[in-house]
Amino acid sequence: MTESMDKTTAVMNLPRRDARDKLQGRTKYTVDAGGSDVLHAALLRSDVASARITRLDTSAALKMPGVQAIATAADAPGLHGLGIADHPVFADKVVRYHGEPLAVIAAETLAQARAAAKAIIIEYAELPKVLTMAEALSQDAPLVHPDWEDYEILFEGGNRSGNIAWQATVDRGDTDAAFARDDVTIVEGSYQVGRQNHVSFEPRAVVASFEDGRYHIHTSTQAPWTVKSVTAKVLGVPEAAVHVTVPAVGGGFGLKFDCSLEPYATILARKTGRSVSLVNSRKEEMMTCLCRENADIHIRSAVTKNGEIVGRDATVLMDCGAYGGEQVFLTTMTAHTLGGNYKLGSVRIRTKAVYTNTPPNGAFRACNGVYNTFALERHTDEICAAIGMDPFEFRRRTVVGDQDLGATGQVFEGNVLGPMLDQMVAKHPIGKRSDTLPDGRLYGRATTVGTWFIFVGPSAATVILNADASATLVTAGVEIGSGTMMQSLPQIVAANLGIHPDAVIVKTADTDAAGRDLGVGGGRTTVSIGAASEAACADVRDKLLEVASGLLQTKPDNLVLTAGRVEMKGRPGSGTTIRQVVQHAETTIGPISGSGAFTAPGVPAMPGCAAGHFIDAIDVPVFAVHDCEVAVDPVTGHVEILSYRLVQDVGRALNHRAIHGQIQGGVVQGIGYALTEEITINKNGAFDQTGFESYHLPLAGDVLPIEFELYEGAPSIGPLGTKGAGEVPILNVAATLGCAIANATDKKVNTLPLTPPRITALLEGRQNGSNLGHVARLRGGDKR
Amino acid sequence: MEQRFKYPPSVEDAVSALGDSAVLFAGGTWVMRAPLRDEDCEKTFISLAKIPELHLVSVNDAGVKIGALVTHHALAAISDVPEMTALVQAAGRSANPAIRRMATVGGNICAKDFAAADLVPALLALGAEVEVQSFEGAASLTLEDYLQTRSTRPSTEILTSIHIPRHSGRSAHARGLLRQAGEYPVANVSVYLEPDQNGAINAARIAVGSVESTPKRWHALEAAVSGQPFGRLSISDLAQSLTQEFTPRDGVDAPATYRLRILPRLVAQAFADAMGQLERSA
Amino acid sequence: MGVDFTLNGKPRSFAGDPRTSLLHALRDDFRLTGAKDVCGEGFCGACIIYVDGEPKTSCLLPVGALQGTEITTIEGIGNVDTLNPVQQAFIDFDVVQCGMCFPGMVMTLTHYLKDNPRPSRAEVKAALTGNICRCTGYERIIDAVMSLHNSASGEVRT
Repeated sequence: MTESMDKTTAVMNLPRRDARDKLQGRTKYTVDAGGSDVLHAALLRSDVASARITRLDTSAALKMPGVQAIATAADAPGLHGLGIADHPVFADKVVRYHGEPLAVIAAETLAQARAAAKAIIIEYAELPKVLTMAEALSQDAPLVHPDWEDYEILFEGGNRSGNIAWQATVDRGDTDAAFARDDVTIVEGSYQVGRQNHVSFEPRAVVASFEDGRYHIHTSTQAPWTVKSVTAKVLGVPEAAVHVTVPAVGGGFGLKFDCSLEPYATILARKTGRSVSLVNSRKEEMMTCLCRENADIHIRSAVTKNGEIVGRDATVLMDCGAYGGEQVFLTTMTAHTLGGNYKLGSVRIRTKAVYTNTPPNGAFRACNGVYNTFALERHTDEICAAIGMDPFEFRRRTVVGDQDLGATGQVFEGNVLGPMLDQMVAKHPIGKRSDTLPDGRLYGRATTVGTWFIFVGPSAATVILNADASATLVTAGVEIGSGTMMQSLPQIVAANLGIHPDAVIVKTADTDAAGRDLGVGGGRTTVSIGAASEAACADVRDKLLEVASGLLQTKPDNLVLTAGRVEMKGRPGSGTTIRQVVQHAETTIGPISGSGAFTAPGVPAMPGCAAGHFIDAIDVPVFAVHDCEVAVDPVTGHVEILSYRLVQDVGRALNHRAIHGQIQGGVVQGIGYALTEEITINKNGAFDQTGFESYHLPLAGDVLPIEFELYEGAPSIGPLGTKGAGEVPILNVAATLGCAIANATDKKVNTLPLTPPRITALLEGRQNGSNLGHVARLRGGDKR
Repeated sequence: MEQRFKYPPSVEDAVSALGDSAVLFAGGTWVMRAPLRDEDCEKTFISLAKIPELHLVSVNDAGVKIGALVTHHALAAISDVPEMTALVQAAGRSANPAIRRMATVGGNICAKDFAAADLVPALLALGAEVEVQSFEGAASLTLEDYLQTRSTRPSTEILTSIHIPRHSGRSAHARGLLRQAGEYPVANVSVYLEPDQNGAINAARIAVGSVESTPKRWHALEAAVSGQPFGRLSISDLAQSLTQEFTPRDGVDAPATYRLRILPRLVAQAFADAMGQLERSA
Repeated sequence: MGVDFTLNGKPRSFAGDPRTSLLHALRDDFRLTGAKDVCGEGFCGACIIYVDGEPKTSCLLPVGALQGTEITTIEGIGNVDTLNPVQQAFIDFDVVQCGMCFPGMVMTLTHYLKDNPRPSRAEVKAALTGNICRCTGYERIIDAVMSLHNSASGEVRT
């Protein structure tokens, strides 16, 4: 097909259409929904981490003022999960984590619901618990799920055993032979990172109602279709009976990529016949957040003196908490985040999702990537030290390029990381990597690389061309704050139809109107929904040009859509307005609309390399180069970031200003992860950080402007050559800060977060982080 | 509805309204967070807001009198009492701007479970006295004595004002934070220094907060620096040598050892600040 | 017996438990949902409103303490058709993301700039110590605020 649109018109700094209402406090998020007719719900949660429930008596609570209904495990007996159905809606006979829901109450007011929750009689017989992965994997550890073998398997292929919920493995080439070579240096490192809370400002929240025999769920989610299918499954109703709508979402960052509160409110709506609102309090949100998981990582590499990595062996333990959840799926990522940066002669990776009696974890911006990049880049610097090669030189030689193999044997296309490294140092030549500043602080600089990927998968779109030549885009895409639904999608649709983005109406997500979609996350929205939208536009364009061709007495191939008009190519003013064509169409073929779809094209991996992976190869790799300079106060352990710069692979930048916003925000979240945001789990299995007093988010005074350059032109299957730009900015922040701090302090930085107390411990040479022997041990006993 | 929020017109009326089912309400920033601490939230609030004298700051040659309801924001704006800089700094840097407009000096002193108060060490360093009123009438005692008995003082007592005697020295406050601002300090130090004619320290008062559960004076360090010439003082080393005076607390924010580690630095910062003020005023 | 005050220019009365936080009264009883319930402990600033013109965190203000006061919420800043200069600058610089913190940001900065029309970057950051944003990383908010120095009048209306 010849070009009937001008792609360059998609590139602009389109402002967000939702900004005005947000600035005026007029936007209605899910937490703002619901008037006086709505019932309020509260969850009763366990205050023990591992126990048998010996008594759960709701009779007194049911008689409390205002109480309309109480639901417990009896109301939702089914199990759900990703890969494995291991997760009940309510703790049923057994409690597996502190904060696990036991019952939910609907009452006229929230205070009444909370009072009733306190009146429920709950008695436990406490059971032994495992709070760390080391404990969970120790000999004779109590099993979090003694019945693990009986669970329904939703996705085949993962190796499972006891407290190992899932294992994904990569085996390419003969690593044993590589490590046995006599011309290699063997470098080994262990790393441990903590959890990170998303702290989306809007907590998880839902309003559910029962209307005309169906369930309507109005919710703060990133994945309306997941909410629909999971709620249907646990309620035991057809998916068609569940209708999900999503208003503006007050931040997600991955937290809302799974179904969470929706089933509780839905069950109560069915019981009461009323609308029911359920909103997590901030304390609940802090203590049961589906955090970025804590992880224990061991990497071992066989490297020649020329810097060739002939063998790599890595074990990554991901704490999934009490239920498998997203971590089962995320074991897949290690192959790409730890195995997709550097050329590897042979590679063996074991990634295990491990059950513990702690709150379940979930997805968080650049899931799994941030800590694997941290571990890998620290390890890479240790390799450089061991073989005496400059860290930049090593990276420049060893990063993956055109036709190089990824961990699972996929073939990368295009030289991207190498030129990006060159772009970084061309502008910021590397001088000293460590120094002592005149004020006594320790200076460090580091440059790191990172590989992320766009998580594609199915999306659907419908585009309706209206009589006034505006277009309505109908998808299940959600605006979570990143601007994708407000900026890149209208820009893509407008460019495809030759209209202005202001004339593109974006329907809010509604599963009754839009086709299935995996959800907003993994940087996939612009790529997947964008591609589906382009396909829908192509359908519209074909119909429109066909009608126009009759009207203008020329072939459709001679026509082009531009500035609201259908013109003959190369002859501006020769045609007519789109509006007139649409009106004419009403008398010939009827109103014009189109539908489009997209799914992962499926890049091949090398057969037999990967087992237990949900994706064997990555469709759209995304690369990043970060560089920073720090000053570390040797007394207080404070880190001042003196400069922070990055080069980011975006494929094609549609909205430079919006990408700037994602980079500044994403890097700052990474700074929080690396330096200030700490979650500790106490002996009761509960988080110590219960609110903003103790969980330290970066404030305005803690940040700096991020300097950035966009790398355009790398291969991408995304519409107009785009890649998602919102996920990746956080990817190598902890890696870069960690390496710079290691350079500044000349210490083995191997844990996160690097809070001032931890840095002082590091400087004093005190062991930081727990003993990681369990990770290294696993490697030896597991050569399946 | 029964009266859950009372505005007694005088301190005497407020005292008689107190009891086990009532709680004093000053700025609200501590009381309103009782639910987050899983404390009893059903108490009647006894607001002191309608007692005019509690809002006043008066400065004269005898001293500075500060009503218990004076906010951090108001304290931070005091500019005509040069020796009180520690208090002005503590008030102007604690928490965040909106909280400083609400939180009061009385609340800062009386919240007995709040280890990281900023005003308290500043007031200790300034040698403040507090006035309390109970059924027995009004009484005055040093803040130091008040703090030592704070956890056992009667719930029907109201701290009504703070009195700071006038001095010729200078003072400064230093906060040890994990971020740049906006949080409770893991340790804080206030220092008051008064020189003699020979350029030596005539009097020093040093107070430390957040390291232990209650702020306290660092008498050993005060004694160690007393009489020392400013010029040759190695205050950081001196402080380092006397940290055994403290039994630091472990907390979610920082381990005990960290609080002690940064203490000499904070003392040195506050000393440098106060000495700079003395030089400029000389 | 209720508590009477002026809310966005109109006389209003609250008859519920006077220990109720103003934030909950605004959101639940007056259905003014612009102030957001985010941290509930005075750190995040998403619930900031003005009491007699002074920015305060409404989560820590019991309604009982507000008898006779004049309360202004984000809904009382301008109207549907007019934005104040801070709001306009945020649009011009495309700084809004999820939006939950912005009502509080607007309240804090509008008040601050009235008394400090030409602040430094560091001063703006200090003024924002009690306004947390999880999405934007702040700097572009500061850029937008700094641009107001160069506006024609230099004045910031409320």
